[in-house]
Amino acid sequence: MTAYLQASGVDVSFGGLKALNDCGFTVQQGKITCLVGPNGAGKTTIFNVITGFLRPGAGSVSFKGQTLDGWKPQAIVAAGIARTFQNLRLFVDLTAIDNVLASMPAQTGEEPVAAIFRPFHVASAQRHRRVEALAILNRVGLIERANDFTRNLSYGEQKLLTIARVLATGAELILLDEPASGLSAGALDGVMALLRRLQDDGKTLLVVEHNTRVVQQIADDVLFLHQGHLMAQGTPEAIVNDPALAEIYFGGTI
Amino acid sequence: MDFWFSYIALASIYVLLGLSTNLLVGIAGIFSVSQAAVFGVGAYIVAFFLMNETMSFLPALAIAALCCIALNILVTLPALRVSGDYFVVTSFGIQLLATAVFTNWTDGTGGANGLPGIPPPDLAGKALESSGEVVSLCVAGMGLGCLIFWLVMRAPFGRLLRAIREDELAVAAAGKSVLRAKVSAAALAGAFAGTAGGLYATFLSFIDPSSFDLDSSILLLTMVVVGGARTLAGSILGPFLLLALPQILTLVDIPTTVAAAARQLIYGVLLIAFMLFRPQGLAGEKL
Repeated sequence: MTAYLQASGVDVSFGGLKALNDCGFTVQQGKITCLVGPNGAGKTTIFNVITGFLRPGAGSVSFKGQTLDGWKPQAIVAAGIARTFQNLRLFVDLTAIDNVLASMPAQTGEEPVAAIFRPFHVASAQRHRRVEALAILNRVGLIERANDFTRNLSYGEQKLLTIARVLATGAELILLDEPASGLSAGALDGVMALLRRLQDDGKTLLVVEHNTRVVQQIADDVLFLHQGHLMAQGTPEAIVNDPALAEIYFGGTI
Repeated sequence: MDFWFSYIALASIYVLLGLSTNLLVGIAGIFSVSQAAVFGVGAYIVAFFLMNETMSFLPALAIAALCCIALNILVTLPALRVSGDYFVVTSFGIQLLATAVFTNWTDGTGGANGLPGIPPPDLAGKALESSGEVVSLCVAGMGLGCLIFWLVMRAPFGRLLRAIREDELAVAAAGKSVLRAKVSAAALAGAFAGTAGGLYATFLSFIDPSSFDLDSSILLLTMVVVGGARTLAGSILGPFLLLALPQILTLVDIPTTVAAAARQLIYGVLLIAFMLFRPQGLAGEKL
Protein backbone atom coordinates (compact mmCIF):
# COMPACT_ATOMS: atom_id res chain seq x y z
CA MET A 1 0.00 0.00 0.00
CA THR A 2 1.39 3.41 -0.91
CA ALA A 3 1.54 5.99 1.87
CA TYR A 4 -0.83 8.95 1.76
CA LEU A 5 1.89 11.52 2.31
CA GLN A 6 5.47 10.40 2.41
CA ALA A 7 8.66 12.36 2.89
CA SER A 8 11.93 10.56 2.49
CA GLY A 9 15.55 11.61 2.86
CA VAL A 10 14.77 15.34 2.74
CA ASP A 11 17.79 17.62 3.18
CA VAL A 12 17.58 21.39 3.39
CA SER A 13 20.54 23.64 4.19
CA PHE A 14 20.54 27.37 4.80
CA GLY A 15 24.16 28.31 4.34
CA GLY A 16 26.02 26.07 6.77
CA LEU A 17 22.93 25.28 8.84
CA LYS A 18 21.20 21.98 8.18
CA ALA A 19 17.52 22.73 8.71
CA LEU A 20 16.45 19.27 7.59
CA ASN A 21 18.77 16.32 7.69
CA ASP A 22 17.62 13.08 6.06
CA CYS A 23 14.10 13.80 7.22
CA GLY A 24 11.51 11.16 6.45
CA PHE A 25 8.06 10.18 7.70
CA THR A 26 4.62 9.14 6.56
CA VAL A 27 1.19 10.62 7.24
CA GLN A 28 -1.88 8.40 7.17
CA GLN A 29 -5.07 9.41 5.46
CA GLY A 30 -7.88 10.62 7.69
CA LYS A 31 -5.65 11.03 10.74
CA ILE A 32 -4.61 14.08 12.70
CA THR A 33 -0.85 13.94 12.82
CA CYS A 34 0.99 16.37 15.05
CA LEU A 35 4.49 17.53 14.27
CA VAL A 36 6.34 18.44 17.45
CA GLY A 37 9.87 19.29 18.42
CA PRO A 38 11.95 22.09 19.89
CA ASN A 39 12.37 25.43 18.14
CA GLY A 40 14.56 25.10 15.10
CA ALA A 41 13.76 21.41 14.66
CA GLY A 42 12.68 22.06 11.07
CA LYS A 43 8.89 21.83 11.45
CA THR A 44 8.05 24.87 9.35
CA THR A 45 10.82 24.00 6.92
CA ILE A 46 9.25 20.63 6.15
CA PHE A 47 5.93 22.46 5.58
CA ASN A 48 7.69 24.69 3.08
CA VAL A 49 9.13 21.67 1.31
CA ILE A 50 5.80 19.79 1.15
CA THR A 51 3.94 22.82 -0.21
CA GLY A 52 6.54 23.66 -2.84
CA PHE A 53 7.85 26.89 -1.34
CA LEU A 54 11.27 25.40 -0.79
CA ARG A 55 13.27 23.03 -2.99
CA PRO A 56 15.12 20.49 -0.88
CA GLY A 57 18.78 19.80 -1.63
CA ALA A 58 17.99 16.09 -1.58
CA GLY A 59 15.10 13.79 -0.90
CA SER A 60 11.57 13.58 -2.08
CA VAL A 61 7.95 14.06 -1.09
CA SER A 62 5.09 12.08 -2.55
CA PHE A 63 1.35 12.39 -2.15
CA LYS A 64 -0.94 9.43 -2.88
CA GLY A 65 1.87 7.71 -4.70
CA GLN A 66 2.71 10.68 -6.89
CA THR A 67 5.95 12.59 -6.46
CA LEU A 68 5.66 16.33 -5.83
CA ASP A 69 9.30 17.08 -6.51
CA GLY A 70 9.79 20.29 -8.47
CA TRP A 71 6.09 21.18 -8.39
CA LYS A 72 5.05 24.79 -8.01
CA PRO A 73 2.95 25.77 -4.95
CA GLN A 74 -0.15 26.26 -7.08
CA ALA A 75 0.16 22.77 -8.57
CA ILE A 76 0.47 21.29 -5.10
CA VAL A 77 -2.67 23.13 -3.94
CA ALA A 78 -4.45 21.81 -7.02
CA ALA A 79 -3.30 18.30 -6.09
CA GLY A 80 -5.08 18.74 -2.74
CA ILE A 81 -2.54 20.01 -0.19
CA ALA A 82 -2.92 23.45 1.39
CA ARG A 83 -1.34 25.18 4.37
CA THR A 84 -1.63 27.99 6.87
CA PHE A 85 1.20 30.18 8.05
CA GLN A 86 2.39 30.68 11.59
CA ASN A 87 2.25 34.45 11.03
CA LEU A 88 -1.21 34.08 9.42
CA ARG A 89 -0.48 36.10 6.22
CA LEU A 90 -4.14 37.07 5.82
CA PHE A 91 -5.20 39.76 3.37
CA VAL A 92 -5.95 42.24 6.15
CA ASP A 93 -7.33 44.96 3.87
CA LEU A 94 -9.94 42.56 2.46
CA THR A 95 -13.08 41.42 4.25
CA ALA A 96 -13.23 38.00 5.85
CA ILE A 97 -15.40 36.61 3.06
CA ASP A 98 -13.07 38.03 0.42
CA ASN A 99 -10.18 36.20 2.06
CA VAL A 100 -12.15 32.99 1.62
CA LEU A 101 -13.26 33.82 -1.92
CA ALA A 102 -9.71 34.71 -2.95
CA SER A 103 -8.67 31.16 -2.07
CA MET A 104 -11.32 29.30 -4.05
CA PRO A 105 -9.99 27.51 -7.11
CA ALA A 106 -10.75 28.15 -10.79
CA GLN A 107 -13.18 31.05 -10.69
CA THR A 108 -14.79 32.61 -13.74
CA GLY A 109 -13.60 36.16 -14.10
CA GLU A 110 -10.26 35.60 -12.48
CA GLU A 111 -8.68 36.94 -15.66
CA PRO A 112 -9.69 40.15 -17.42
CA VAL A 113 -11.16 38.70 -20.63
CA ALA A 114 -14.09 36.96 -18.92
CA ALA A 115 -14.43 39.87 -16.49
CA ILE A 116 -14.91 42.31 -19.38
CA PHE A 117 -16.87 40.26 -21.90
CA ARG A 118 -19.03 38.08 -19.67
CA PRO A 119 -19.84 40.32 -16.70
CA PHE A 120 -23.26 38.82 -15.98
CA HIS A 121 -21.95 35.28 -16.10
CA VAL A 122 -19.13 36.30 -13.74
CA ALA A 123 -21.56 38.01 -11.36
CA SER A 124 -23.87 35.00 -11.19
CA ALA A 125 -20.94 32.62 -10.66
CA GLN A 126 -19.76 34.90 -7.84
CA ARG A 127 -23.14 34.76 -6.16
CA HIS A 128 -22.83 30.98 -5.99
CA ARG A 129 -19.32 31.24 -4.68
CA ARG A 130 -20.42 33.65 -1.96
CA VAL A 131 -22.92 31.07 -0.73
CA GLU A 132 -20.15 28.47 -0.57
CA ALA A 133 -17.84 30.96 1.16
CA LEU A 134 -20.50 31.74 3.77
CA ALA A 135 -20.90 28.02 4.42
CA ILE A 136 -17.15 27.75 5.03
CA LEU A 137 -17.19 30.76 7.36
CA ASN A 138 -20.11 29.16 9.16
CA ARG A 139 -18.11 25.94 9.51
CA VAL A 140 -15.31 27.75 11.37
CA GLY A 141 -17.74 29.95 13.30
CA LEU A 142 -17.08 33.27 11.61
CA ILE A 143 -20.34 33.77 9.74
CA GLU A 144 -21.15 36.93 11.70
CA ARG A 145 -17.83 38.47 10.73
CA ALA A 146 -18.16 37.75 6.99
CA ASN A 147 -18.27 41.37 5.86
CA ASP A 148 -15.86 42.79 8.42
CA PHE A 149 -12.40 43.85 7.39
CA THR A 150 -9.90 41.25 8.44
CA ARG A 151 -7.75 43.77 10.29
CA ASN A 152 -10.67 44.34 12.67
CA LEU A 153 -10.96 40.68 13.62
CA SER A 154 -9.50 39.47 16.92
CA TYR A 155 -6.38 37.32 16.81
CA GLY A 156 -8.42 34.20 17.53
CA GLU A 157 -10.85 35.04 14.74
CA GLN A 158 -7.98 35.67 12.37
CA LYS A 159 -6.60 32.23 13.16
CA LEU A 160 -9.97 30.69 12.37
CA LEU A 161 -10.01 32.65 9.12
CA THR A 162 -6.70 31.10 8.07
CA ILE A 163 -8.37 27.70 8.47
CA ALA A 164 -11.39 28.89 6.47
CA ARG A 165 -9.05 30.04 3.74
CA VAL A 166 -7.39 26.65 3.56
CA LEU A 167 -10.78 24.93 3.42
CA ALA A 168 -11.74 27.20 0.53
CA THR A 169 -8.98 25.72 -1.61
CA GLY A 170 -10.79 22.37 -1.36
CA ALA A 171 -7.63 20.64 -0.13
CA GLU A 172 -7.98 17.20 1.43
CA LEU A 173 -4.63 17.33 3.24
CA ILE A 174 -4.38 20.39 5.45
CA LEU A 175 -1.15 21.61 6.97
CA LEU A 176 -1.66 23.86 9.98
CA ASP A 177 1.25 25.81 11.42
CA GLU A 178 0.56 26.32 15.14
CA PRO A 179 -3.23 26.79 14.98
CA ALA A 180 -3.48 26.97 18.79
CA SER A 181 -0.63 29.31 19.69
CA GLY A 182 -1.56 32.60 21.31
CA LEU A 183 -5.17 31.59 21.92
CA SER A 184 -7.15 31.92 25.13
CA ALA A 185 -8.31 28.70 26.78
CA GLY A 186 -11.84 29.13 25.43
CA ALA A 187 -10.68 29.79 21.89
CA LEU A 188 -8.33 26.83 22.17
CA ASP A 189 -11.21 24.44 22.87
CA GLY A 190 -13.03 25.90 19.88
CA VAL A 191 -10.10 25.27 17.56
CA MET A 192 -9.62 21.72 18.82
CA ALA A 193 -13.29 20.95 18.29
CA LEU A 194 -13.04 22.42 14.80
CA LEU A 195 -10.07 20.23 13.93
CA ARG A 196 -12.02 17.19 15.08
CA ARG A 197 -14.95 18.20 12.89
CA LEU A 198 -12.65 18.60 9.90
CA GLN A 199 -11.37 15.10 10.53
CA ASP A 200 -14.96 13.87 10.58
CA ASP A 201 -15.43 15.58 7.21
CA GLY A 202 -12.71 13.35 5.83
CA LYS A 203 -9.82 15.78 5.91
CA THR A 204 -6.33 14.69 6.83
CA LEU A 205 -4.47 17.10 9.10
CA LEU A 206 -0.78 17.63 9.67
CA VAL A 207 -0.38 20.07 12.53
CA VAL A 208 2.67 21.80 13.94
CA GLU A 209 1.91 22.30 17.63
CA HIS A 210 3.83 23.24 20.75
CA ASN A 211 1.04 22.89 23.26
CA THR A 212 1.30 19.36 24.68
CA ARG A 213 -2.26 19.51 25.96
CA VAL A 214 -3.50 20.14 22.44
CA VAL A 215 -1.30 17.39 21.06
CA GLN A 216 -2.60 14.90 23.61
CA GLN A 217 -6.19 15.79 22.92
CA ILE A 218 -6.26 15.82 19.15
CA ALA A 219 -3.38 13.79 17.77
CA ASP A 220 -3.80 10.28 16.43
CA ASP A 221 -0.15 10.14 15.61
CA VAL A 222 2.83 12.26 16.64
CA LEU A 223 6.03 12.94 14.76
CA PHE A 224 8.92 14.17 16.89
CA LEU A 225 11.43 16.20 14.93
CA HIS A 226 14.84 17.10 16.32
CA GLN A 227 17.64 18.88 14.48
CA GLY A 228 15.93 18.34 11.17
CA HIS A 229 15.51 14.60 11.64
CA LEU A 230 12.61 12.39 12.68
CA MET A 231 13.54 11.14 16.15
CA ALA A 232 10.39 9.29 17.04
CA GLN A 233 6.92 8.52 15.81
CA GLY A 234 4.07 7.19 17.92
CA THR A 235 0.90 7.83 19.87
CA PRO A 236 0.69 11.06 21.89
CA GLU A 237 1.04 9.12 25.17
CA ALA A 238 4.15 7.32 24.02
CA ILE A 239 5.81 10.55 22.83
CA VAL A 240 4.82 12.74 25.78
CA ASN A 241 5.83 10.12 28.33
CA ASP A 242 9.20 9.38 26.76
CA PRO A 243 11.76 10.87 29.17
CA ALA A 244 14.47 11.16 26.51
CA LEU A 245 12.20 13.22 24.28
CA ALA A 246 11.03 15.36 27.20
CA GLU A 247 14.65 16.06 27.99
CA ILE A 248 15.21 17.33 24.44
CA TYR A 249 12.00 19.27 24.37
CA PHE A 250 12.08 20.98 27.71
CA GLY A 251 15.55 20.86 29.13
CA GLY A 252 17.31 19.88 26.16
CA THR A 253 20.41 19.75 24.17
CA ILE A 254 19.56 22.36 21.59
CA MET B 1 -10.40 74.91 -30.54
CA ASP B 2 -12.45 76.11 -27.66
CA PHE B 3 -10.64 75.84 -24.33
CA TRP B 4 -13.27 73.67 -22.67
CA PHE B 5 -13.38 71.21 -25.54
CA SER B 6 -9.64 70.88 -25.53
CA TYR B 7 -9.53 70.51 -21.76
CA ILE B 8 -12.18 67.79 -21.67
CA ALA B 9 -10.65 65.84 -24.56
CA LEU B 10 -7.16 65.94 -23.04
CA ALA B 11 -8.43 65.09 -19.57
CA SER B 12 -10.38 62.13 -21.00
CA ILE B 13 -7.23 60.83 -22.65
CA TYR B 14 -5.29 61.28 -19.42
CA VAL B 15 -8.00 59.43 -17.50
CA LEU B 16 -7.24 56.41 -19.71
CA LEU B 17 -3.57 56.86 -18.82
CA GLY B 18 -4.50 57.29 -15.17
CA LEU B 19 -6.39 53.98 -15.28
CA SER B 20 -3.39 52.35 -16.90
CA THR B 21 -0.97 53.70 -14.29
CA ASN B 22 -3.34 52.96 -11.43
CA LEU B 23 -3.78 49.36 -12.55
CA LEU B 24 -0.05 48.78 -12.81
CA VAL B 25 1.32 50.88 -9.94
CA GLY B 26 -1.58 51.23 -7.54
CA ILE B 27 -3.22 47.85 -7.87
CA ALA B 28 -0.68 45.35 -9.16
CA GLY B 29 2.12 47.07 -7.23
CA ILE B 30 4.44 47.21 -10.24
CA PHE B 31 6.09 50.60 -9.80
CA SER B 32 6.56 51.64 -13.41
CA VAL B 33 7.88 55.06 -14.41
CA SER B 34 7.68 54.27 -18.11
CA GLN B 35 3.96 54.44 -18.86
CA ALA B 36 4.49 57.52 -21.04
CA ALA B 37 6.75 55.44 -23.30
CA VAL B 38 3.94 52.94 -23.91
CA PHE B 39 1.55 55.87 -24.45
CA GLY B 40 3.99 57.24 -27.05
CA VAL B 41 4.26 53.96 -28.93
CA GLY B 42 0.46 53.87 -29.25
CA ALA B 43 0.45 57.44 -30.53
CA TYR B 44 3.19 56.89 -33.11
CA ILE B 45 1.62 53.67 -34.41
CA VAL B 46 -1.77 55.30 -35.02
CA ALA B 47 -0.09 58.37 -36.54
CA PHE B 48 1.92 56.16 -38.88
CA PHE B 49 -1.09 54.23 -40.18
CA LEU B 50 -3.27 57.29 -40.64
CA MET B 51 -0.60 59.44 -42.30
CA ASN B 52 0.22 56.67 -44.76
CA GLU B 53 -3.47 56.02 -45.28
CA THR B 54 -2.86 52.33 -44.62
CA MET B 55 -6.11 51.89 -42.76
CA SER B 56 -8.84 53.79 -40.99
CA PHE B 57 -8.81 54.94 -37.37
CA LEU B 58 -10.39 52.03 -35.49
CA PRO B 59 -8.24 49.24 -36.94
CA ALA B 60 -5.18 51.42 -36.42
CA LEU B 61 -6.22 51.97 -32.80
CA ALA B 62 -6.75 48.21 -32.35
CA ILE B 63 -3.26 47.48 -33.69
CA ALA B 64 -1.78 50.16 -31.44
CA ALA B 65 -3.57 48.67 -28.44
CA LEU B 66 -2.33 45.16 -29.29
CA CYS B 67 1.24 46.35 -29.75
CA CYS B 68 1.10 48.21 -26.45
CA ILE B 69 -0.25 45.11 -24.70
CA ALA B 70 2.74 43.16 -25.97
CA LEU B 71 5.12 46.01 -25.17
CA ASN B 72 3.81 46.54 -21.66
CA ILE B 73 4.10 42.84 -20.86
CA LEU B 74 7.67 42.92 -22.14
CA VAL B 75 8.46 46.07 -20.20
CA THR B 76 7.00 44.79 -16.93
CA LEU B 77 8.51 41.31 -17.19
CA PRO B 78 11.62 42.44 -15.28
CA ALA B 79 9.26 43.44 -12.43
CA LEU B 80 8.31 39.80 -12.08
CA ARG B 81 11.97 38.89 -11.63
CA VAL B 82 13.50 41.84 -9.80
CA SER B 83 11.52 43.29 -6.93
CA GLY B 84 10.33 46.78 -6.03
CA ASP B 85 13.22 49.19 -5.82
CA TYR B 86 15.23 47.50 -8.54
CA PHE B 87 12.38 47.59 -10.98
CA VAL B 88 12.04 51.38 -10.68
CA VAL B 89 15.60 51.66 -11.98
CA THR B 90 14.88 49.20 -14.81
CA SER B 91 11.72 51.06 -15.69
CA PHE B 92 13.59 54.37 -15.63
CA GLY B 93 16.03 52.92 -18.17
CA ILE B 94 13.18 51.76 -20.38
CA GLN B 95 11.71 55.27 -20.37
CA LEU B 96 15.05 56.86 -21.31
CA LEU B 97 15.53 54.28 -24.05
CA ALA B 98 12.07 55.02 -25.49
CA THR B 99 12.72 58.77 -25.45
CA ALA B 100 16.01 58.19 -27.26
CA VAL B 101 14.23 56.16 -29.95
CA PHE B 102 11.39 58.72 -30.32
CA THR B 103 13.95 61.53 -30.67
CA ASN B 104 16.49 59.87 -32.94
CA TRP B 105 14.53 57.59 -35.24
CA THR B 106 13.81 60.46 -37.64
CA ASP B 107 12.36 58.31 -40.43
CA GLY B 108 9.74 56.73 -38.20
CA THR B 109 8.91 59.37 -35.61
CA GLY B 110 10.03 62.62 -37.24
CA GLY B 111 12.64 62.91 -34.49
CA ALA B 112 12.62 65.92 -32.24
CA ASN B 113 10.54 67.85 -34.78
CA GLY B 114 7.71 65.39 -34.30
CA LEU B 115 4.99 64.38 -36.72
CA PRO B 116 2.73 67.21 -37.91
CA GLY B 117 -0.45 66.81 -39.93
CA ILE B 118 -1.88 63.63 -38.46
CA PRO B 119 -5.36 63.22 -40.00
CA PRO B 120 -8.39 63.49 -37.70
CA PRO B 121 -9.98 60.24 -36.51
CA ASP B 122 -12.66 58.70 -38.71
CA LEU B 123 -15.60 56.51 -37.86
CA ALA B 124 -17.57 54.49 -40.42
CA GLY B 125 -15.83 56.21 -43.33
CA LYS B 126 -16.54 59.72 -42.06
CA ALA B 127 -13.75 61.97 -40.76
CA LEU B 128 -14.51 63.63 -37.43
CA GLU B 129 -13.62 67.22 -38.36
CA SER B 130 -15.49 69.25 -35.76
CA SER B 131 -14.07 69.64 -32.29
CA GLY B 132 -17.36 68.51 -30.76
CA GLU B 133 -17.11 65.17 -32.54
CA VAL B 134 -13.50 64.61 -31.50
CA VAL B 135 -14.26 65.50 -27.89
CA SER B 136 -17.19 63.06 -27.93
CA LEU B 137 -14.86 60.34 -29.21
CA CYS B 138 -12.37 60.99 -26.41
CA VAL B 139 -15.10 61.05 -23.79
CA ALA B 140 -16.53 57.81 -25.20
CA GLY B 141 -13.04 56.28 -24.98
CA MET B 142 -12.78 57.38 -21.37
CA GLY B 143 -16.23 56.01 -20.60
CA LEU B 144 -15.37 52.65 -22.09
CA GLY B 145 -12.08 52.60 -20.19
CA CYS B 146 -13.83 53.37 -16.91
CA LEU B 147 -16.43 50.67 -17.55
CA ILE B 148 -13.74 48.09 -18.23
CA PHE B 149 -11.79 49.14 -15.13
CA TRP B 150 -14.92 48.90 -13.02
CA LEU B 151 -15.80 45.46 -14.44
CA VAL B 152 -12.39 43.92 -13.86
CA MET B 153 -12.02 45.37 -10.39
CA ARG B 154 -15.34 44.01 -9.18
CA ALA B 155 -14.63 40.60 -10.72
CA PRO B 156 -12.50 37.94 -9.01
CA PHE B 157 -9.58 39.32 -11.04
CA GLY B 158 -9.70 42.58 -9.08
CA ARG B 159 -9.82 40.73 -5.78
CA LEU B 160 -6.87 38.60 -6.85
CA LEU B 161 -4.83 41.71 -7.70
CA ARG B 162 -5.64 43.30 -4.35
CA ALA B 163 -4.65 40.08 -2.59
CA ILE B 164 -1.38 40.00 -4.54
CA ARG B 165 -0.62 43.54 -3.51
CA GLU B 166 -1.00 42.51 0.11
CA ASP B 167 0.79 39.19 0.18
CA GLU B 168 2.11 37.36 -2.87
CA LEU B 169 3.19 34.34 -0.89
CA ALA B 170 -0.27 33.86 0.60
CA VAL B 171 -1.76 34.09 -2.90
CA ALA B 172 0.59 31.36 -4.10
CA ALA B 173 -0.37 29.29 -1.03
CA ALA B 174 -4.00 29.67 -2.06
CA GLY B 175 -3.13 27.99 -5.34
CA LYS B 176 -3.13 31.04 -7.58
CA SER B 177 -0.54 32.04 -10.15
CA VAL B 178 0.82 35.45 -9.19
CA LEU B 179 2.73 35.69 -12.45
CA ARG B 180 -0.34 35.17 -14.61
CA ALA B 181 -2.33 37.81 -12.77
CA LYS B 182 0.47 40.36 -13.05
CA VAL B 183 0.94 39.70 -16.75
CA SER B 184 -2.81 40.17 -17.25
CA ALA B 185 -2.71 43.47 -15.36
CA ALA B 186 0.23 44.64 -17.45
CA ALA B 187 -1.61 43.67 -20.64
CA LEU B 188 -4.71 45.60 -19.64
CA ALA B 189 -2.63 48.63 -18.63
CA GLY B 190 -0.92 48.42 -22.03
CA ALA B 191 -4.24 48.41 -23.87
CA PHE B 192 -5.36 51.52 -21.97
CA ALA B 193 -2.10 53.37 -22.66
CA GLY B 194 -2.08 52.41 -26.35
CA THR B 195 -5.67 53.55 -26.84
CA ALA B 196 -4.88 56.81 -25.08
CA GLY B 197 -1.91 57.28 -27.42
CA GLY B 198 -4.04 56.81 -30.53
CA LEU B 199 -6.65 59.27 -29.32
CA TYR B 200 -3.96 61.76 -28.37
CA ALA B 201 -2.25 61.66 -31.78
CA THR B 202 -5.45 62.19 -33.75
CA PHE B 203 -6.83 64.77 -31.34
CA LEU B 204 -3.75 67.03 -31.41
CA SER B 205 -2.83 66.13 -35.04
CA PHE B 206 0.76 66.69 -33.93
CA ILE B 207 2.98 64.61 -31.68
CA ASP B 208 6.61 64.96 -30.62
CA PRO B 209 8.80 63.15 -28.08
CA SER B 210 8.23 65.78 -25.37
CA SER B 211 4.74 64.37 -24.73
CA PHE B 212 6.12 60.93 -23.98
CA ASP B 213 9.18 61.62 -21.86
CA LEU B 214 10.05 61.00 -18.22
CA ASP B 215 8.28 64.20 -17.13
CA SER B 216 5.07 62.79 -18.60
CA SER B 217 5.51 59.50 -16.79
CA ILE B 218 5.99 61.39 -13.55
CA LEU B 219 2.97 63.56 -14.32
CA LEU B 220 0.96 60.33 -14.64
CA LEU B 221 2.20 59.13 -11.26
CA THR B 222 1.35 62.51 -9.76
CA MET B 223 -2.18 62.25 -11.17
CA VAL B 224 -2.64 58.85 -9.57
CA VAL B 225 -1.20 59.98 -6.24
CA VAL B 226 -3.23 63.19 -6.11
CA GLY B 227 -6.44 61.64 -7.43
CA GLY B 228 -6.13 58.51 -5.35
CA ALA B 229 -4.53 55.15 -5.90
CA ARG B 230 -6.48 51.99 -6.67
CA THR B 231 -9.88 53.55 -7.26
CA LEU B 232 -11.84 54.50 -10.32
CA ALA B 233 -12.76 57.89 -8.85
CA GLY B 234 -9.10 58.63 -8.16
CA SER B 235 -8.12 57.84 -11.74
CA ILE B 236 -10.71 60.33 -12.98
CA LEU B 237 -10.13 63.09 -10.43
CA GLY B 238 -6.36 63.25 -10.79
CA PRO B 239 -6.15 64.04 -14.52
CA PHE B 240 -9.01 66.54 -14.44
CA LEU B 241 -7.43 68.43 -11.53
CA LEU B 242 -3.84 68.40 -12.69
CA LEU B 243 -4.63 69.37 -16.27
CA ALA B 244 -6.58 72.35 -14.97
CA LEU B 245 -3.47 73.57 -13.21
CA PRO B 246 -1.74 75.17 -16.26
CA GLN B 247 -4.95 77.03 -17.02
CA ILE B 248 -5.21 78.31 -13.47
CA LEU B 249 -1.61 79.49 -13.74
CA THR B 250 -2.47 81.56 -16.81
CA LEU B 251 -4.81 83.59 -14.60
CA VAL B 252 -1.86 84.62 -12.48
CA ASP B 253 0.15 87.42 -14.02
CA ILE B 254 3.54 85.79 -14.55
CA PRO B 255 5.67 85.45 -17.73
CA THR B 256 5.07 82.26 -19.74
CA THR B 257 8.66 81.12 -19.32
CA VAL B 258 8.26 81.20 -15.56
CA ALA B 259 4.83 79.56 -15.77
CA ALA B 260 6.23 76.37 -17.35
CA ALA B 261 8.82 76.01 -14.62
CA ALA B 262 6.27 76.87 -11.96
CA ARG B 263 4.04 74.08 -13.23
CA GLN B 264 6.77 71.45 -12.82
CA LEU B 265 7.51 72.88 -9.41
CA ILE B 266 3.89 72.61 -8.35
CA TYR B 267 3.65 69.01 -9.64
CA GLY B 268 6.71 68.15 -7.57
CA VAL B 269 5.40 69.87 -4.45
CA LEU B 270 2.01 68.19 -4.86
CA LEU B 271 3.62 64.77 -5.21
CA ILE B 272 5.67 65.21 -2.04
CA ALA B 273 2.87 66.85 -0.07
CA PHE B 274 0.37 64.12 -0.89
CA MET B 275 2.84 61.34 -0.15
CA LEU B 276 3.53 62.89 3.26
CA PHE B 277 0.13 64.11 4.34
CA ARG B 278 -2.47 62.22 2.34
CA PRO B 279 -0.99 59.09 0.77
CA GLN B 280 -4.43 57.83 -0.20
CA GLY B 281 -4.96 60.87 -2.44
CA LEU B 282 -8.26 62.66 -2.71
CA ALA B 283 -10.38 59.61 -3.44
CA GLY B 284 -8.21 56.56 -3.12
CA GLU B 285 -6.76 53.94 -0.88
CA LYS B 286 -3.32 54.12 0.65
CA LEU B 287 -0.60 53.46 -1.94
